[in-house]
Amino acid sequence: MDDSEPADASDPPPAPGPDADPSAVGITDSDAVVAAVDADTGEGELERTIGLVGGLAIGVGTMIGAGIFVFPGLAAENAGPAASLSFAIGAVIALLVALPASELATAMPRSGGGYFFISRGLGTTAGAIVGLGLWLGLVFASAFYLVGLGSYAGQVFLEAGIALPVSPAVPLGVAFGVGLTVLSLFGTENTAALQNGIVILLLVILTLFLTYGSLDALGVFGAERTPERFFPPGGALPVLQTAALVFTSYLGFAQVATVAGDITEPSRNLPLAMVGSVLLVGVFYVVTIFVATSAFGSARLGEFGETAMVEVARSFVGFPGALAIVVAGLLATFSSANASILSASRAVYAVSRDEIIPETASRLNLAYGTPHVALGLAGGPIVVLTATGQVALLAEVASFLHLVMYGLICVALIQLRREQPPWYDPAFRCPAGFAVAGVGGLASFALIAFMQPASIGVGVAIMLAAYGWYRYYATDVELKGDF
Amino acid sequence: MTDTPTETGGEPTESNAPTETGDPPEVEDPPETGDPPGAGDPQTPDRPSVLVPLAVLEGESLPNGTPELLANARVVLLGYHVIPEQTATEQAREQFGETAMSKLAEFADALAAAGADVETRLVFTHDKETTIGRLIYEYDCLAVLVPNSTMEVESVLVALRGTVGVERNTRLVAGLFADTGVAVTLYHALGDGETRADGESFLNGVQTELVERGLEPDDLRTLIEDADAPLDAIADRAESHDAVVMGETDPSVTTFVFGLPSEQVAERFLGPVLVVQRERPEE
Repeated sequence: MDDSEPADASDPPPAPGPDADPSAVGITDSDAVVAAVDADTGEGELERTIGLVGGLAIGVGTMIGAGIFVFPGLAAENAGPAASLSFAIGAVIALLVALPASELATAMPRSGGGYFFISRGLGTTAGAIVGLGLWLGLVFASAFYLVGLGSYAGQVFLEAGIALPVSPAVPLGVAFGVGLTVLSLFGTENTAALQNGIVILLLVILTLFLTYGSLDALGVFGAERTPERFFPPGGALPVLQTAALVFTSYLGFAQVATVAGDITEPSRNLPLAMVGSVLLVGVFYVVTIFVATSAFGSARLGEFGETAMVEVARSFVGFPGALAIVVAGLLATFSSANASILSASRAVYAVSRDEIIPETASRLNLAYGTPHVALGLAGGPIVVLTATGQVALLAEVASFLHLVMYGLICVALIQLRREQPPWYDPAFRCPAGFAVAGVGGLASFALIAFMQPASIGVGVAIMLAAYGWYRYYATDVELKGDF
Repeated sequence: MTDTPTETGGEPTESNAPTETGDPPEVEDPPETGDPPGAGDPQTPDRPSVLVPLAVLEGESLPNGTPELLANARVVLLGYHVIPEQTATEQAREQFGETAMSKLAEFADALAAAGADVETRLVFTHDKETTIGRLIYEYDCLAVLVPNSTMEVESVLVALRGTVGVERNTRLVAGLFADTGVAVTLYHALGDGETRADGESFLNGVQTELVERGLEPDDLRTLIEDADAPLDAIADRAESHDAVVMGETDPSVTTFVFGLPSEQVAERFLGPVLVVQRERPEE
């Protein structure tokens, strides 16, 4: 266009007037950090669009699929009614990590979650191991959810009376894995609204179901059921082993931190969403096990496998109950799988932004706005792992890799509080920070010890490989305090 | 929504320095320095703020005629890019920020050349409405432009519904078109139980106010109509004008089905529509 050089410089820029004074607009100290992150650096600013409800929905939606719809059968088989204690242990550990993670997230409200905190707090070595581990941890978790989703999809055929020659869980899981990856490649607008709706529907179905089940178990509707011995024959050990197995049901709260960059008023909404979602699902899990083990003996539940809850519902209200739980199970495992695949691709982005892996991994496709390489790096291995169908192994490796990260999150909190770097100014401070982080960190690492040797072996191998990659590719990257 | 633009990011890129986006900290500073190397009177405190949202990366560009239409406005030029939820906004900014910024700078130049004050903002978002809503608040925008092109700006249709918020309409119209010779037609569709005399006295009141605000009486016309479907009527009338000014409406069930009234009009009219915003409550 024609040159507009000095002529229009005349008009005084009125902009600073209304909004230059931060106090006038109600900016608190904490939100200054947020403002600095989002603000225009000459290449545009970032809009935050996920509120508290959205944050809770991400946390609950990611978690609830596993604990209620996949694990009850397996967990009861291993630990009997005390499996509810296993879930409670998991909830306590998750809370002990969620509080320090909340503090770190309000100090660093950026995409990347746990990886970001650890790489900035503890340096590149720990960051690289956790970042690559988080990616693969989410890959394992997604595969686990997909097998669960496949089981529920298979149950649909069963309910419809269609006999299949092979167990359909794994093939269906693989098909869903491919489908979800492709779907996410082409952009899925409104997934947030959909996710909120699914979570609310799930909570309604579950509340009805569990209320009925609890009343039934307490003998309101007839003969009180004779409770089994609470502790399994092996005593406390199976309970702890089960806690390690089912910890996968609590991985979701960290997903809230991975979208920290999108959350509005992070200083308030991040801690609420993380802690709130853990508390909410924890209560649901414990009650679920109580109801399930009251309805059937533990051994019988174990035989039902992944879809044990369908049989529990059937025993209460017959076919409609079974159908409701099949639908709920499909929705829950679907939303867990979907959320994990997307998180895995964000994890890839986070490490590639920091050049721990080549930058091409986070390229976006302009037409669809989606990171196709990162989604491929997530979706490919997920499909392969789903095909193995090893539910327990997939779950434990996912938990292993997350627990390492959780432990290091706690270490990072302690480290940062000691060092007090100038940029570290969290809006939310974890109460009794050192104690909570100390216990949380120890508990996270300790839980790993109760896993099956095979899971520990795979987890350690992945960490060594991640370290090897770091030595080979990224030794010159300095991330500590790079904020 | 208050948190984004402060100290660091508060100063949006000014129109005259759009290319040197690299150094935001020392952006233009308040009044004094801004004074006149040549151009028109520097005291234009009443320039109405108009938000112009453009999906820059989707190839949306500044429509023809917009610089002329908004020559007297303080234009908030919003380049936005909507990203699917699975992608971090940061990621998109990193990759597309520069391209988008340089495009925006080009548009800002065109607007400034026509005489407008321009402020440029580029936002990567998951939700267009949130972003537009936030910027309306931030700049206290009188109107949002539905960017369509027009050949020239000689006559404008101003659709008025009632006395509520009419002051914002007059501020916008007077701010944009006083001393420009643009013909302004005030339009009112009679509602239930409203007589033609009611309509006339309403429009006459508006007319008087506009004249007080500096419009030439000769440039003003009024038009009253007994229309069953006011939106259709506005769209029909608009065809003999170059641009439309109308109010926003509360979202209702029908807006979910048919879209916002302003959008419906814009779709049929195909020319630029300035949607006057309600007074925003203090947060």
